[in-house]
Amino acid sequence: MKRLNPAAMLMLVPTHLLLLAVIAIPSFYVFWLSLNESTYGTGLTFVGFDNYWTVLTNPYFWRSALNTLIVVNAIVYIEMAIAIGMAALFIGGVRYPKVMFAIILMPYAISEVVGVLVWKIMLNPGSGVLSRTIEAMGFGMVNWSVSPPLALGVVTLISIWHHLPFTFLLIYAGMLAVPKSLYEASRIDGATGWQEFWRITMPLTIPAILISLIFRFVFAFRLFSEVWLLTGGGPARLTEVLALYLYQSAFRYGDFGVASATGWLMVIGSLLVASVYLWAMHRRMLKGND
Amino acid sequence: MTDLAPFVVPNLAARRASALVRSIVRTFLFGLIVVWSAFPILYVIVSSLKSQKEIFKFPPDLLFTPTLEHYVSLATTWNGYFATLGNSLIVAVGATILACAASILSGFVYSRYTNRLLAGSVLYLIAIRLLPPIVVTLPLFPLVDALKLSDTHFILIVLYATFWVSLCTMIMKTFIDKIPRTLDEAAMVDGATTLQTLTRVIFPLALQGVAACAIFVFIFSWNEYLFALIFTTQHAKTAPLIISEVMDSVSGTNWGVLFAGVTVQLMPVTLLVIFAQKFLIAGLTAGSVKG
Repeated sequence: MKRLNPAAMLMLVPTHLLLLAVIAIPSFYVFWLSLNESTYGTGLTFVGFDNYWTVLTNPYFWRSALNTLIVVNAIVYIEMAIAIGMAALFIGGVRYPKVMFAIILMPYAISEVVGVLVWKIMLNPGSGVLSRTIEAMGFGMVNWSVSPPLALGVVTLISIWHHLPFTFLLIYAGMLAVPKSLYEASRIDGATGWQEFWRITMPLTIPAILISLIFRFVFAFRLFSEVWLLTGGGPARLTEVLALYLYQSAFRYGDFGVASATGWLMVIGSLLVASVYLWAMHRRMLKGND
Repeated sequence: MTDLAPFVVPNLAARRASALVRSIVRTFLFGLIVVWSAFPILYVIVSSLKSQKEIFKFPPDLLFTPTLEHYVSLATTWNGYFATLGNSLIVAVGATILACAASILSGFVYSRYTNRLLAGSVLYLIAIRLLPPIVVTLPLFPLVDALKLSDTHFILIVLYATFWVSLCTMIMKTFIDKIPRTLDEAAMVDGATTLQTLTRVIFPLALQGVAACAIFVFIFSWNEYLFALIFTTQHAKTAPLIISEVMDSVSGTNWGVLFAGVTVQLMPVTLLVIFAQKFLIAGLTAGSVKG
């Protein structure tokens, strides 16, 4: 390792200039915006924490926060369970691995817009191929367009479909890293496949699972396009999530102060979630060192 | 562990039967995964080849005479769409080049140099990815407008590149870490400058990492919706935006043409993912586990 010299510092400029100008400085400026009242083309008026008060007393905000909490947890935990199951299946051996991976990765290539479009059409009450199949099977009509819980269920489904490849790959890589010798030893001891999975594979995959949990929570928290394109937040703003509430406040009602306050509450929210899991990881690492 | 597994020797027939059941269950599960992943995509592609009447027929015909009529009307009546695909291409290529160039430079420095500030800024590179992108649109929106950058390719390129440059830096660092330091020391002894060492020695050996970064940024930029929705209005509109507008148009949608348009949009990136899966997998694991 060499000491940092001016030539090397110059090479850092493009990356850090982009990050500072587009993300770091603007996000601090958002905090300042959140303490002011402003709309399109007007100056700022300092109002202290008034915007936070406005946000925190708004029932639509709490509805969107609750929706976000439910949907994000549903997405993350269901996706994680499927990913772990899939990875376990793949670890047990897979024929034509290249073809299988190509197929599994395909949803990763699809735009959120296209993902919503396809599922929306397939699940369209009365005409979609999936909704009519469900009907034909005798489950009745699934009319998610008038039922907020069902609509959020569809959002969860689309989001999982989209991001499963990513989560699966992380977990699969984690399981691949488990030393083969452990399995050989356990087989000599007469362990069954089920025991091997719960006593060897799973404990050693926990770090990979925690990392993908952090990633998925942070990314699921941003949930916007799926909801916006599927329901637009309706009916009656009942399916809004936090990012949508922010978007509506800023770009529909022109209230940048309230939107900025929401933005900071979102940042704090995702930091809290991430820190819970980072803390869990840290504790595991300490235990591992004993 | 042995005390939990009673020592039984099952007879051969029972063992064979259970192996058969196991393999049937496994095959069924693999089949389920294939249908889940591929069906929605195939549905779009197949529908784009069906005549208008057949698209929503239930139960759908598995055998039908494919028609290219929707592609013809896409080319004749919806020709504005190709301009937006062009916008998507310009933006995606621009963002890919910018993000890759910046992260090769910084990834090299993070891999080869040491400094207390540098070590601390690794944490900053990770933390900055936690920020929801929609939050920075609030201060950027009036600023971009004032700088007359709204509705340009440039602003989308900068935004897309920035949101990937931190992860790409970590990916490049991971790949460059694997290249023996003795190689760049030898180049330095021969009188190469730092930049020459990077372009002539490191770059060719880190191509796999560059490919991984390029694929991530390209796919993201080609498909992105939120920034395009907020920062473009007319000239720089990208394909996903047009697709979303047509999908929600109140005047009734020509589904066949929409399916054809969507197929044209998703084909290139789907093929990219299929044929470059090696780089994608390498990049995902390098960037996430280490970063």
